[in-house]
Amino acid sequence: MIWFFARRLLAAVPTLLAVLTLVFVIVRIVPGDPALVILGDQATPEAAAALRERLGLDRPLWTQYFDFITSALRGDFGTSMVTGRPILDEVAAVLPHTVDLTVASMLFGTLVGVPVGIWAALHRNRAIDVAARILSLLGLSFPVFVSGIFALLLFSLHWRLFPVIGAADLDDPVDRLHKLVLPTVSLGLIMAAYITRVTRSAMLASLSEDYIRTARAKGVPWRRVVWVHGLRNASIPIVTVVGLYVGILIGNSVLTEIVFNRPGLGKIIVGALNQRDYTMLQGLMVIYCFLIVVVNAITDLLYGVLDPRVQAA
Amino acid sequence: MTANRVGKEDKTMNAFRAALLGAALAVAGGSAVQAQSGATLRVGMAAQDVGRLDPHFAVSTIDRVIVAWMFNGLVRFKPGSIDPAEIEPDLAERWESSPDGRTWTFHLRRGVQFHGGFGELTAEDVVFSLRKSATAASSAFAADFRAFESVEAVDPYTVRIRLRENVPSLLGLVTNYSGGYIVSRRAVEQRGADFVRSPVGTGPFALDRVTPNQSAELSANAQYFRGAPQIARVSYRFIPSDASRDLAYQNRELDVNYGRADQTWINRTRQVPNTVVDVFEPGELAILHLNTTTPPFNDIRVRQALAHAINRAELVRFRGQDVTREAQSVAPRGYLGFAQQPLLPHDPNRARALLAEAGHPNGLTVRVIHTQLPEMLNMMQVVQQQLRRSGITLDLQVVEHATFHQQIRQDLSPLVYYSAARFPVADIYLTQFFHGRSIVKTPTAVTNFSHCNQADQQLDAARVSTDINEQRRLWGEAQRILVQNVCGVPLLETLLVFARRDNVDYGYELRGSMSLGPLITERTRIRQ
Repeated sequence: MIWFFARRLLAAVPTLLAVLTLVFVIVRIVPGDPALVILGDQATPEAAAALRERLGLDRPLWTQYFDFITSALRGDFGTSMVTGRPILDEVAAVLPHTVDLTVASMLFGTLVGVPVGIWAALHRNRAIDVAARILSLLGLSFPVFVSGIFALLLFSLHWRLFPVIGAADLDDPVDRLHKLVLPTVSLGLIMAAYITRVTRSAMLASLSEDYIRTARAKGVPWRRVVWVHGLRNASIPIVTVVGLYVGILIGNSVLTEIVFNRPGLGKIIVGALNQRDYTMLQGLMVIYCFLIVVVNAITDLLYGVLDPRVQAA
Repeated sequence: MTANRVGKEDKTMNAFRAALLGAALAVAGGSAVQAQSGATLRVGMAAQDVGRLDPHFAVSTIDRVIVAWMFNGLVRFKPGSIDPAEIEPDLAERWESSPDGRTWTFHLRRGVQFHGGFGELTAEDVVFSLRKSATAASSAFAADFRAFESVEAVDPYTVRIRLRENVPSLLGLVTNYSGGYIVSRRAVEQRGADFVRSPVGTGPFALDRVTPNQSAELSANAQYFRGAPQIARVSYRFIPSDASRDLAYQNRELDVNYGRADQTWINRTRQVPNTVVDVFEPGELAILHLNTTTPPFNDIRVRQALAHAINRAELVRFRGQDVTREAQSVAPRGYLGFAQQPLLPHDPNRARALLAEAGHPNGLTVRVIHTQLPEMLNMMQVVQQQLRRSGITLDLQVVEHATFHQQIRQDLSPLVYYSAARFPVADIYLTQFFHGRSIVKTPTAVTNFSHCNQADQQLDAARVSTDINEQRRLWGEAQRILVQNVCGVPLLETLLVFARRDNVDYGYELRGSMSLGPLITERTRIRQ
């Protein structure tokens, strides 16, 4: 298994390099001058030129690219052009918030979506199934900036159960959990809706297979038929979607972070993009890429665990 | 599926739902919103994060607001005022200038201590700070100090500044604004590149820490030379979403909230119990700058037509009477040297007639680059409607804000909507926007998008004059020339807005703030 995991990570190196190159080129093609952002709108060309020289932006592109790649390989992402703070420090300060939100939303989406999907499949075309389908459609239709504001109005302003400012004290586990509830529900809602639909479809397909009929004919208890025979065979598409969704959650977390005032990678990346903070953008892209690669590798590993035929292949 | 089986599944799901609900309640359990602490002032700001906290690089609103709490200048604007006539002693207790106005001597207070044990402020720190401000590599405001010939320490408590030529307001350069902030020489040398994230000043509050994307925490400087602050801590919170920030304020998680310059916002916020909305100077003057060197605006009749097409009263009604006012010149109201000008009145018929005279009987279309920043885009869309009624169609090319700033400086837009506030002396605004030296795409460019240089002589003469009445006359004359040439069409001035709880007492009346936010001083307090 370790060898499998290592192989997957090694296979990701060319992808990582390609993404880094693309990011390096794109951030420099996009119009907008970091010197103007840093110096403000009263900057003279002389001052802007002095700053560009200090930031190394006046050097040939290939030199900048070479420096960036070699530094990235050493794990050195430099400092933010705008704040002057080391990129790894900035990332380290907010990464726990992003991980908290992503993991909690994934758990919420899975723990709600899978049982509801199974439930709907077991009650196919009955009121429960219709209700689940309508609710999942509603869940998919509510973007975070709508559900989030509604949640804040109800749970923070009206019932005063949660604070509006969701930036938690990382050293205080209770505060951390408390401030995670609303963002998790808002972000996880869409995932739960999607997982519900996928689980329902996969379960319907699985439950109509011959081996289910055989198991029932043998007198296997219904709960076992559903949870062991049905769900296990339906789990490959569910795991695929969950794996894919983790990547989407990391990306989508930016809106949740903004609405709930949480620090996080998504918010930093939007700020870096607005401020043309090249070094910060590049550093964040490496980290994002790495996270996605790891999640994909874990998903592949799970395939093997759930279906031994995948491992054998 | 039998009823029995369905019942079993229902029970399973019921148990699961109960568990979920239980978990959620457990997390929320006993979770009343944190009680407000009287000792900490919580300020919400519309920003993602602070930038460089070296005051000489503090160019954005969020950075300007916070550095004003941590640093002092040799002199300062009276808290709550932006009137240069009300400048008062700060780190310098007195000063004098030579009769020709080119040599200034400042006598420092004794016993002023820097934050973090960096010792007493001496003339060496002041010399170091002003030289740093005047150097392009270490300051964003170096161009302001071009007239400085030398800065020297006469003795540990006396600083002398010699100028190459007169400047309109030397005191303005050494005030608690932009390049005038005084830093600790020892701290800058010791901390090097780290100084931008751990700055050391002499102000009433010292920086404790910055949590990226979250907040900056400051604590009172007990050794502050005007006395220990009455507030123990300031928590400066970065909340970019207007809706979330407003909700946090309503939920009493903030004591002071950055406001939107918008009448609806002001009216709504005034309804929040125990709230005071402060609307204050400096006003940002918005002008449509017209490139007078390229078609179609190289024809003054087209520029006049555009000016006649603008309805300022309507613009003010759109944005809000409490927060905006009609522009009266090409320099903002209240600035030293401002002179009201007879601007061309709203007259769509006259506008159409002028266009026809200029060879555009069917109107004309102008391709304009504009920012997607909502407040600026909304205003431009109203302007677009007004111009359309007179036959001028603006083909708006909406780009991202950083792109907008780059492209207008590359002279790619014949019409530029620009809104700005500057140091409240007419010279700065007029020079940056209308002096030949500031024309975009030139080596000394700043923000002269119109390419106008007809008032250069008056502006240059005013700058070196030592007679304030003569300066006023020259600045007035410059404004008259620029308005007559329709280098730009002044639209409106937008003031700053902050909301606060009525138990927050700044310790002064907030009429203006050069730091673009409320100054938190040793006298600021939260009444119980």
